[in-house]
Amino acid sequence: MSTQGSRSILFTHTRPQEGFRLLELTPELEELLTSKDAPLLELKSPSTALAQAVIDPTTHDYVNLCTPIQTYRIRQVQSSNSLHILRPSRGEISQADIKVVEEEPGESGALNLPDEAVTALAKCSSTLELHVPPGGFSAIPFLEKSLRLYDRRSDDDGDIAMGSSADSTAPLGSKEMRMARENVCQDIPVSMAQCEQGWRELCAFVDGAEGVACWRPSARSRLAVWKRLVEGAVLQGINLEKQFLVGDLWKSVLDDDEEMEPPFPRALLEAVVRRICIADERPPLADDIKCESRMDGGRWLQVSGLLTISCCSLGASFDKVECTQWVGETYLAATAPTTSSAIGRSEFLRAWKESLPETWRGEAALTTLPNGCYNSPDPTTICFVEPSQRQPTKKDASAPITAAKAKNTRNWHELLKGHR
Amino acid sequence: MPSIKLQPHCSSPAKATIASTPNNPLPALLQTPSGLALLELQGTINVPSGNEEQDNIDYSSTDNPASTFETPIGKLMFPDYSVHNPDDTKWMKRAYMYVGRYQRMTGEVKKLPRPIAVLRKRQASEDEELEVVEIVRYKIFFKSRPEPVTNV
Repeated sequence: MSTQGSRSILFTHTRPQEGFRLLELTPELEELLTSKDAPLLELKSPSTALAQAVIDPTTHDYVNLCTPIQTYRIRQVQSSNSLHILRPSRGEISQADIKVVEEEPGESGALNLPDEAVTALAKCSSTLELHVPPGGFSAIPFLEKSLRLYDRRSDDDGDIAMGSSADSTAPLGSKEMRMARENVCQDIPVSMAQCEQGWRELCAFVDGAEGVACWRPSARSRLAVWKRLVEGAVLQGINLEKQFLVGDLWKSVLDDDEEMEPPFPRALLEAVVRRICIADERPPLADDIKCESRMDGGRWLQVSGLLTISCCSLGASFDKVECTQWVGETYLAATAPTTSSAIGRSEFLRAWKESLPETWRGEAALTTLPNGCYNSPDPTTICFVEPSQRQPTKKDASAPITAAKAKNTRNWHELLKGHR
Repeated sequence: MPSIKLQPHCSSPAKATIASTPNNPLPALLQTPSGLALLELQGTINVPSGNEEQDNIDYSSTDNPASTFETPIGKLMFPDYSVHNPDDTKWMKRAYMYVGRYQRMTGEVKKLPRPIAVLRKRQASEDEELEVVEIVRYKIFFKSRPEPVTNV
């Protein structure tokens, strides 16, 4: 017979069975897990409160697998086949039962027990698959819900200024800030790098004035910081396009009168600076590592205050274009947040230009604004469009089409089409 | 519980498997450091037992060999495999699984389209923690029904 001469391996079933889960790996994840210093991964789901506040239209309960920089949605896929996990047998086989397989153990084609046996020690009827939805993952919706809104204007006459923050010249250490931030990110079901990216984007900051709290500044406050920053820079002769010290910028923002409270926490200034000195609004995923190191640079910047801004923007200072864009968007968000509060276009353009350093004013044009960030209720007016309300055209154009298809992989037709 | 840690490596790599079973009888391609391998069946293995329904998950007793026992089911064979020629992969096309003495399934060894990580709850850890026990890249796959045989 054809099987003669080849070894046969006794196959047994272990009881009790063990509990295993099978997780299908993506190539990146495989590389990560097989690397020498594989990082700790996390299975994250939003806290109950956040899950209620930030509703994912596609699913109710979900778990995301997070590497330090990447996030995947986990989906459990049932199979009609059963997957058994085998292991070499430890030889706890009842010799009496061998009869089931072999009439007289030790005879022809002999089973050499127990070395020549494998045993099924677990059965899995489902595997866990990973996928990334078309728009990717963002921490921003979660951060918006979990951070307190900071909406105090520098010209609010100080009566509701941030407590006694002026008294303590030493602000929170970078370690405390990081801990506070990580505490917030713990409940956000995306990777730490994506949390930090969202954090940067929102200009979120940690302030210790009223107990350690994490804030996200309103558009109004961000605009106020920007205006103050430009004013100060002009007065002190700081060229924002060249390298400068954040410490100098902070000093220029403070009133000459030493007694006065600072107009806003220094951490907020740093958050704004960090936001606009970064070149890409949303770096592609491959750049996430770079972007993390930038973040580190940003952190370092908080500690020493000596590092130049260029440290956190890879050799550039404020990027004129990026910065102009941010100011325009922020201005619009601050002054015309909804359709009903739309303002005149020319009025907007004038105000936008006025908030920029003189040499940058040529950059301000409607075409400079990020795609979809504004809407025109009628031909002469303009208003802001919340990021969540924007047409999903801008990023999806760059997202691979297969990602869109992956949305419905429960559908076999789609699934097979994707494999062709 | 918003976050569960997933350790990239097994806390006790060699202890449970390799130490007590030095010989892995499977073809080298299917061998993994932990000894774990995957076998896919169309259908299930029904093992007669007093407590039928306890089939699935029992974390508690995995570390205690005394309480586990193995029921022989049949035999696995890779008829074209030769230890002397491990680089030739033609043998993967044919695998047999005998169920009992008189039934045989024909299958093959397949490379998984995507590697599969075998996860397990980490033992002796206070919080709920998972670990990657092994990354498996091949499976033994039997997609056909058993056929009767007499000549074993």
